[in-house]
Amino acid sequence: MQYSFTKPRKKYLVSSEVRLVLIFFSMTLFVLFSTYFILLYKTYSFESTTLSYQHNIQDINQSLYDLNQEIMFISIEKEKAEEVVTKNTILHESIKNLFDLVPNRIVLSRAEMEKNSLILYGITPNKEVCQFMLHAPLRSIFHKTYSSFYPIENSSGKATSGWLNFVSKNYLNDNTPTAYDETLTTDNAQMTGDR
Amino acid sequence: MKNLISKQLLYILLLSFVLLIFVLIFSFALLIPQGKEYRIQRLDMKQHYADLYKYRTWSDETSMELKELKSKNQRVINAFDKLFTPERFITQNQNYFETLKLSEIKDMNSSSEFTMYEVTATSKINSPTQFYNFLETINKSDWMIGVTFPIVFQRDKTSIHSSFKMRVYSSDKLRAQK
Repeated sequence: MQYSFTKPRKKYLVSSEVRLVLIFFSMTLFVLFSTYFILLYKTYSFESTTLSYQHNIQDINQSLYDLNQEIMFISIEKEKAEEVVTKNTILHESIKNLFDLVPNRIVLSRAEMEKNSLILYGITPNKEVCQFMLHAPLRSIFHKTYSSFYPIENSSGKATSGWLNFVSKNYLNDNTPTAYDETLTTDNAQMTGDR
Repeated sequence: MKNLISKQLLYILLLSFVLLIFVLIFSFALLIPQGKEYRIQRLDMKQHYADLYKYRTWSDETSMELKELKSKNQRVINAFDKLFTPERFITQNQNYFETLKLSEIKDMNSSSEFTMYEVTATSKINSPTQFYNFLETINKSDWMIGVTFPIVFQRDKTSIHSSFKMRVYSSDKLRAQK
């Protein structure tokens, strides 16, 4: 038996309007949380990227330091090589000039070259040839020049005619002769009457 | 009154209010600071990227510079790196001299940038031409060698005895000294 003309309608705990509002609220909360978590993730991602960049910079910095050290070392090697080559060339020229300086009439028997001195031993036909042809140009190069002459002796101890042995000691200013050298040259000069 | 505000509506209003408060608190307490942090980190990352780019450019430029320097000074680098062997030196230079002897001077200061050798040589001829030739070729030799004083030439009947000191530079010694 029917007591009502209308059909019974279902009753919900939450009405459709409330449900709509709840869905809206849920969406709002979802957007809010997801934004927060995205920000959180991106911040973390930026931090880790920054950290990796920092590590890369450190590595590059170290490699730059090594490269610069290598460049510096090669530059030092280059400078040293230039210095050595220049010194060898100067030495070559100096020795060549020295032997070009010696006239044909004078025969050298020994030459001692130091950084600031030159000592020549040899024989000369006479003092004048040695004085004018060898010592004059040497005086223009060196600051102090000492020379001594003594006659060539044969096996019996007698002087041979004409030719003289000579020792020429030449010094630059920063290498003055020692007391021993001074005595030696003075003695020799007194002996031969030449200085 | 009961008819004006239903129970459902009251719940909705209450929930809306709670949500509003929550949103406000969440935004000001977490979301906005996190947003600021995000912006700071992004700027920081960009700055670091710019720095990294700059360093990479420097590194590339320096590498190029080093490469160029190496290619220009290859002979010098090889000369410093090559191990000096007296036997090989004698073999290479024996045609300039009749006899050639090398002896290492051991009592040198260990911190010096070179090894010192005493060289004694005899030339067959009467003029020191061979010595000039030797000095000319020493600059083109496999090693970095500097001839130094004292240099002594002693004339014999048909030959010239020469003795001089020779500095052999090596990159190991140079590096150790720096």
